[in-house]
Amino acid sequence: MALDKYERVWLTAVGGLIGSFMAALMVAYLIFDIRLPTFEARVDPANLNSTMFADLGVKKRGENKYDVVMLAKMWVFDAGKDGGNPGVPPVIRVPRGSRVTFYVTSLDVTHGVYVEDHSINLEIVPGQIARQSIPFNRPGEFRIICNQYCGAAHQGMYGTIVVE
Amino acid sequence: MQLTQSQPKSFQVNTTSVTMLNNERWLVGLHILSAFFALFWGALMGPFQTFHRSPAFVAAFPNATMPIFSYYYQALTAHGVLNALFFTTMFITGISYYVTWRSFDRPLVGMPLAWVAYALELIGLVILFFVLLNDPQRSAVLFTFYPPLIAPPLFYIGLVLLVVGSWLGLLVVFLTYGAWRKENKAARIPLAPFAVMANYVMYFLASLGVAVEVLVLALPASLGLIQNTDPQLSRALFWFFGHPVVYFWLIPAYVSWYTMLPMQAGAKRVFSEPLAKIAFLMLMIFSVPTGLHHMFADPGISSTWKAIHTVFTLMVAVPSFMTAFNIGATLEIAGRNRGGKGLFGWMFTQKWSDPVVAAQLMGMLQFITGGITGLINASAQINTVVHNTSWVPAHFHQTVGGAVAMTYIGIMYWLLPMIRGRALYSKKMALAQVYTWGFGMTMFGHTLGEAGLAGVPRRTLSGLSPYLSEAATYWLNANAISGVILLVSLILLYANIVLTLFASKEPVTEGGYTVTKGDPTTPAILERWGLWIGVAVVLAALVWTVPFIDSINLTEGFQILRYSPAGPVPLK
Repeated sequence: MALDKYERVWLTAVGGLIGSFMAALMVAYLIFDIRLPTFEARVDPANLNSTMFADLGVKKRGENKYDVVMLAKMWVFDAGKDGGNPGVPPVIRVPRGSRVTFYVTSLDVTHGVYVEDHSINLEIVPGQIARQSIPFNRPGEFRIICNQYCGAAHQGMYGTIVVE
Repeated sequence: MQLTQSQPKSFQVNTTSVTMLNNERWLVGLHILSAFFALFWGALMGPFQTFHRSPAFVAAFPNATMPIFSYYYQALTAHGVLNALFFTTMFITGISYYVTWRSFDRPLVGMPLAWVAYALELIGLVILFFVLLNDPQRSAVLFTFYPPLIAPPLFYIGLVLLVVGSWLGLLVVFLTYGAWRKENKAARIPLAPFAVMANYVMYFLASLGVAVEVLVLALPASLGLIQNTDPQLSRALFWFFGHPVVYFWLIPAYVSWYTMLPMQAGAKRVFSEPLAKIAFLMLMIFSVPTGLHHMFADPGISSTWKAIHTVFTLMVAVPSFMTAFNIGATLEIAGRNRGGKGLFGWMFTQKWSDPVVAAQLMGMLQFITGGITGLINASAQINTVVHNTSWVPAHFHQTVGGAVAMTYIGIMYWLLPMIRGRALYSKKMALAQVYTWGFGMTMFGHTLGEAGLAGVPRRTLSGLSPYLSEAATYWLNANAISGVILLVSLILLYANIVLTLFASKEPVTEGGYTVTKGDPTTPAILERWGLWIGVAVVLAALVWTVPFIDSINLTEGFQILRYSPAGPVPLK
C-alpha cells in the first residue's frame, strides 16, 4: 500500500486544519472563557415551590450583576411580576452593561431559550436547571425565543429583554 | 499534476448483466420501491413546510393547510420519520443486499430472514402511516420524540419493527460474509461489502441507545406501565444513536462514490482502495463517540464531556476529507480519460449530462457546504450561535437532502431499470430533476441558514410567529421559493419512476458495476473485524459512560405530566 505524494500533502493539510480548529476551541475555552452550559442542579417540576423557581423575576445580585429566574411552560415564558401581565409574552428590563445570569427550568416538556444577537442558547429540559451567563452591552430590544419544539403553539412562545 | 495509481492491474470489474436474478430482483426491488414510496409522502411535505414558514404565504393564504398530513407538526413528524428513518433504512437494507450479493459473487445466506426483515420494515411503515393519520395531535412528537412528549404506543412499535428489520438485514450480510470467507480464505474483502459491514457494525452499536430509550423509557410510558420518565437520559440515549445514524445514511452513498461512480464516470477504479478501507474503519470507530455535540446546550451534561465529544466530532471529519481526495483524484483521472486538459479542464469533461453521474456530482457539491456547516456546528462555542435555529436543518438538508438523497436517486436511476427490465423512461426528465434538486436544495440551504442566523428557530411554524425580524421574514419568504423548485423536482422524479415502471418500452441496456475482488495490497490488519469492533465498543463505552450516569435521575425521577401537544391540559 503506497501513498501518493499529493495525498500525503492533502492529509498533512487536513491534519493541520483539524488541529488548528481544536486549538481555536481550546483558546476560546481557556482564554476567552466561553463555556458551554454544564450540570447545575436538578429540580422536581412538581414541587417548584420549594426551589428558587418559587420566586421568579429579575434579581439584582450586585453592581451590574443580575439573575433572571424564569420558568418555561406551554407556551409562555414566566418571569413573574417583573415580566408584566401573566400569560402574555414577558418583557424584562436590565441596564446596559450588566452581566445577566439566566436560570431556567421547564414545567412540562422540553423548551429552548435563545436571545437574538447574543451568545446564549439553552435546552430547557424538565427536571434540570439550565444556567448561562452573558453580558448585555448594547441597548435595544431583543427577543427571547423558544427554539425547541414544545407542542401546538410553539411558534408563538417568546419574550423580550429590553437593555436600557 | 500527475496522479499515480498504486493498485495492481488485475482488478476484476464486472458490468453486471442487465437482467437480474429473479429472487434478487424482487428482494432488492421491493426495498428500493418501498423506500421511494416513503420518500414521496415524506418529501412532499417539505415544500409545503417552506410555504407555511413564509410570512408572505401565510398572509396571502391564511386558511391554507398542509396536504394529507394537514396539521403542520404532524406533517413535520411525517417528513422526518418517512424521509430520515424509513426511506433511508429501507433503501440501505436493499442496496446492502445488492452489493453484498454482487461483490461476493454468491447468493445471500438466509433469504427467509431477508424477507422477514422486509416484512417487518413494511409493517412498521404501514403502522406509522396509520398512527400519523389517525392521531395527528398526539403523534406530532417529531422524529426525535423527546420525552416527555409521549406519542401513542403504535408510533414506537412501528419504529421498533423498522429497527428490528434492519438488524435482521445486518445478520444476512454477515452470514453471507461468513460463507464467502470460508470459500475465499486468503482473499481481501471487496471494498463495497467491506463498507457495508463497517456501516452495519457502527449502526448496530448506535441503535442500542435508541432501543433502550424506546423499550425502557418511551414505550412503557406511552402504554401507561410507568409513570416516571427521564427527559435528560432520554436525550442522551437518543443522541448515542442520532449522530451515528447520519453516517449510516452517508456510508451507502460513499459506497456508490467509491465502488460504482469511478466506472460510471470513466475511470477504471477508485484511486486508492486501502485508504478507502481506512476511511470506512474510521467512520465505524469515530461515529459513536460524537453524540454530545447535539447536546452542547443541554443543562444536565458536564461541559468537560461535551469538549471530549467535540474532539471526536472533528476526528470523524477526517475520513470525509480523505474521501474528498480519493474521489476527487478518481474523478480527475476519469475527466482526463475523457479529454480534460490543464489544471481544471477535467472538471468540465465529467458526464454532466448523464443523470446517474450528474446526481452524484451534484450531491458531492452540496456535501462541500454540508460538511463545512457541519464543522461549524461541531465547534462547541460557535454552536451557541446556531443551535436549534433553522441553520441546523439548512445544514442537514445539504448533507442528507443533498449528498445522501441525490446519490440514492442516482443509484435508483440505474437500479430501477434493472429491476423493471426496461430502460429509464426519460433521461432528460431525470437530468432536469437532478439539476432542479441540486439548485433548489442549495438555495434552500442558503436561505434557511440565513434565516437561522437572523434568529429563526428550527421546527417551528414560523409563518405564524409574532417575533420575526425583517431579515428573518425576507429569508423565510426566499426559502419558500426554493420550496417551489424542489416541488417541481419531486414531481419530475416520481413521474419518471411511474413511467419507467408502467410505460417504458425500451429494453434496458446499461447495468451496474461491481468489483468482485479486494485490492491484494490492502494490509491484512484492516480486515480484522474483531479488533476494530472491540476498539469501537471500548471507545464508545469510555466517552459515554459518565454522561449516561450523570443523566440518570433515579432519585427524583421525573413524573410524566401527560400533556397533549395540542393544549397545556394534562390528559390524565
